[in-house]
Amino acid sequence: MNPDGTLNTAVIVKLEPDFSEGNVSYNADGTLNRAETKNILGPHSAVASTAALYSKVKYGSRVSVATMGPPIAEAALQQSQLICDADELHLYSDRIFAGADTLATAEVLKAGIKKMANGQPIDIVFAGHRASDGETGQTGPQTAWKLGYPFIGNVIDYDVDIKRGYVKVQRLIKSYGYHDIIEEIEAPLPIFMTLDPSFIPFFNTISQRLKLARHQKEAIGRSSQYKEYLKVFSAQSLEVNSKAVGLPGSPTIVYKVEKIPRAKANRKADVIDGSSQGNIGQVVTRIYDTLGGTIIK
Amino acid sequence: MEKFDVAIIGGGSAGLAALKHLSNLGKQAILIEGGKKIGTKNVSGGILYSKNPAVGKVYNVENIFDNFLKDAPVERQITKYILHATSKDKVFSLDITPTHNYQSNFGYTVLLNKLLTWFAKEALQSAENLGGGIVLGVHVKSIIWKDENTIIIETDELEPFQVKAVIAADGVNSEIAQITGARSKFTSSELYQGVKVVVKLPEGLIEERFEISENEGAAHLFAGDITLNHIGGGFLYTNRDTLSVGAVYHYDSLIENPVEPNELVNALLSNPFVMELIKDEVPKSKDSYKNLSKEEELRARFKSNKLIKSWKDLHQAYYSSSRISDLLASGLYKTKDDIKNKIDSIHNELVSKYDIGFETNYVELEYSTKLVPDGKRGRMKKPYYKNILFIGDAAGRGIFVGPRIEGINVGIDDAVRAAESISKSIDQNNFDRLGERYSKLVEESPYTRDMNEIDKNYLKTFLDCTKQVPKDIVGHRYGTIFKLMSSNTLRNISIGFANTLGYKRLLPILESNNTYTDVPVEIAERAGRDLQKSYSITIPTIAERIAKLDYNDDSLSHIKVLNSQSDFMKKMVTLCPTKCYSIENERVMLQHEGCIECGTCAKETDWKHPRGEKGIIFQYG
Ligand SMILES: Cc1cc2nc3c(=O)[nH]c(=O)nc-3n(C[C@H](O)[C@H](O)[C@H](O)COP(=O)(O)OP(=O)(O)OC[C@H]3O[C@@H](n4cnc5c(N)ncnc54)[C@H](O)[C@@H]3O)c2cc1C
Ligand code: SF4
Repeated sequence: MNPDGTLNTAVIVKLEPDFSEGNVSYNADGTLNRAETKNILGPHSAVASTAALYSKVKYGSRVSVATMGPPIAEAALQQSQLICDADELHLYSDRIFAGADTLATAEVLKAGIKKMANGQPIDIVFAGHRASDGETGQTGPQTAWKLGYPFIGNVIDYDVDIKRGYVKVQRLIKSYGYHDIIEEIEAPLPIFMTLDPSFIPFFNTISQRLKLARHQKEAIGRSSQYKEYLKVFSAQSLEVNSKAVGLPGSPTIVYKVEKIPRAKANRKADVIDGSSQGNIGQVVTRIYDTLGGTIIK
Repeated sequence: MEKFDVAIIGGGSAGLAALKHLSNLGKQAILIEGGKKIGTKNVSGGILYSKNPAVGKVYNVENIFDNFLKDAPVERQITKYILHATSKDKVFSLDITPTHNYQSNFGYTVLLNKLLTWFAKEALQSAENLGGGIVLGVHVKSIIWKDENTIIIETDELEPFQVKAVIAADGVNSEIAQITGARSKFTSSELYQGVKVVVKLPEGLIEERFEISENEGAAHLFAGDITLNHIGGGFLYTNRDTLSVGAVYHYDSLIENPVEPNELVNALLSNPFVMELIKDEVPKSKDSYKNLSKEEELRARFKSNKLIKSWKDLHQAYYSSSRISDLLASGLYKTKDDIKNKIDSIHNELVSKYDIGFETNYVELEYSTKLVPDGKRGRMKKPYYKNILFIGDAAGRGIFVGPRIEGINVGIDDAVRAAESISKSIDQNNFDRLGERYSKLVEESPYTRDMNEIDKNYLKTFLDCTKQVPKDIVGHRYGTIFKLMSSNTLRNISIGFANTLGYKRLLPILESNNTYTDVPVEIAERAGRDLQKSYSITIPTIAERIAKLDYNDDSLSHIKVLNSQSDFMKKMVTLCPTKCYSIENERVMLQHEGCIECGTCAKETDWKHPRGEKGIIFQYG
């Protein structure tokens, strides 16, 4: 927290291939053609940015956005700033960061987060659920672990009690074939949270709406001049141990990516005539059996 | 609960002017608008006037928005005002520019989406500094009095909040008027239905065809057979690179003789005179590609669509001097001829390679409809309820007399009067007499006078214009009317006569099928010039028009039918502009998804605006 009681928050984002129709391109062997594919702020990173905007509107927080990657990753920072009206943008860019796995990435992010907000402690770090091109979902938790922050995943809503220094969050827990569960957790700050893709900020008072509109307007101005907010860090300026980052710092190595062959459809369909009451009953019973008794009236 | 000084409900021209003026007066106000973006729910013709009455003072747009004359995205300043009498292939045209210039500083054509977005930007700058602002995508659903001077506003989206006074600028279908019981719903004799299409036409072609310069605009009004026997008429206004073509008819006459709104606008579009004004070269869409494999067809469609897009863009640009300068400056083209050559080469490629034909037709961009209150009959005599002041269409304040069509300017004048009244109450911390104070200011407005009595000088100006109607068409059933138009003495007598009759008794004579249909038809037939159709027009079907509109569909219906068997509801099957009503087993059914929130069916339904952000999203207005 800042001396004046405002929160410091950070968002970790990633530039990702745009998987939307018409923008993605594959090589003949099925791997992604990165040169031909357009890059944008990853959709999960966008959700994390929205969560930061929420804290900005609701608690007047200061927001820093960070990413690790080559210079073009600036685009992700700019797009995130357009969402959350960030006060500071961090790019961690160095040749020796190349080939990093999630652990080595976490090392860089940790070092960067410590340099945010003029060295003031960061109260909440927001990250996406996972990256759409990596799919591991590990960078967030590992960064949290390195920072020594408690980690909460799948967050769909949160509230900060600034006086007490606590955050109350709601997490969405999906268990296949069973009810979704919403879990409510309270934790002391600082905290590291990843957002569920279904997170939608809700601004339900007039003042919040007015602040939201003001930040959205400011964000357009800021992101059009994002370079003024941008700080680029190398391994040296981040003061990281070169053995802990990049390829040397990566215990996992991706050996080969294989296409998962599409499973043959294995479905059996019965055609049921819906005109009779009895037949409809059959359908209901079948659904009931399949779902294991979770029909809600 | 959050507290603010003033809430303005509705972000149309009236509401935004109120926000700007309250902010100019240093008062904090929050404007709530249901649309997700400003200007997506509003429809106008529309000419925005600035007036200069001989007696009394009105507040004009440029008095409220200081940057208006310098900066506002207006279309064209009207310099020609022409009334046409139509009958089949004949038209008689009357220059009535003097009636347009009558006591007026200027009249600009506007498209509300663009204009209101600018109003909002200007208003917001002043409002924000006072802790006020604009809240979009929120629908006000009810109002509760905590005590005489504390109003709690409830919405579908936000926590309730508290204010000292409210300006209701929620349009002709005002829910606030219903919630508070400030007035009953407008009756059909107090309303018009306005329907409009926006037509695309390159700038240069507009200037050439309407014989105007780059800075000028023309307004054409129509009466005669295009009314399909209704009381009202058609209009065609020039915008920068579009035309607004539409019609406004008295609701009573539509109820009496129901015709689909889309037919009313079609009658105008297919008039040979109008057809010549709106025509353009248009690539024909292609349904089938014979002899092509699926994949080849896809490729051909993709490529030809891309080419059509470039062709359209260059075609527009070629007729705009500013766009030509931009293109030349970009270095892509060296001369104007280069651009022409490029257009021709794309044209040829489309014809020879993709078999895309070109035809003479017109390009329609948007179809819209809205009710308009007739201030002469429907204006609220007491435009307030406790601390809630009604302005603009919500208060039923529109001036529609003959060729005079004014609502936007009247709402702006109301807005100033409401803002001044509230400002005084805040300064004195006394809201006891707020409503009466406002009501008195509204009574003093020259616009209110225009709603109460006939302005004999305006009538004289109009009748003077009718001198152009040839004298020799007398001696038949409309002989007196023609005589009246052509003889100085009779004109003066008729003005005196009009004065003694008073508005109430004069109105049925002025607003009759005689004046709007029969007499113009007679004039056109006897004195009109012959017109020839130079092409056959293809007008989109209603389904195609609806398909072009943009909606944010709501699963919940904002309208509830109360009596599915009433005569009125059965007429909605015809009168709903987007065919939301159908009849099944003698019962009227509503499908709300295509609703464009015009209010035509409001009289006998439980009618609300959709929840915040939902419903129609007009792009032009
Ligand atoms: C075809 C046609 C031609 C016309 N031609 C002209 C012309 O040439 N010149 C002229 O001066 N006038 C003309 N008029 C009239 C003019 O357009 C209107 O008088 C004017 O636009 C009305 O403005 P307003 O702000 O009062 O209402 P509106 O523009 O209707 O604004 C009301 C606003 O309130 C919002 N709202 C309503 N209820 C709620 C709620 N419960 N909660 C939140 N928001 C709500 C709506 O979304 C809407 O944006 C024409 C009208 C039509 C239809
Ligand atoms: S349903 Fe009613 S309000 Fe909606 S478009 Fe039809 S007539 Fe107008």
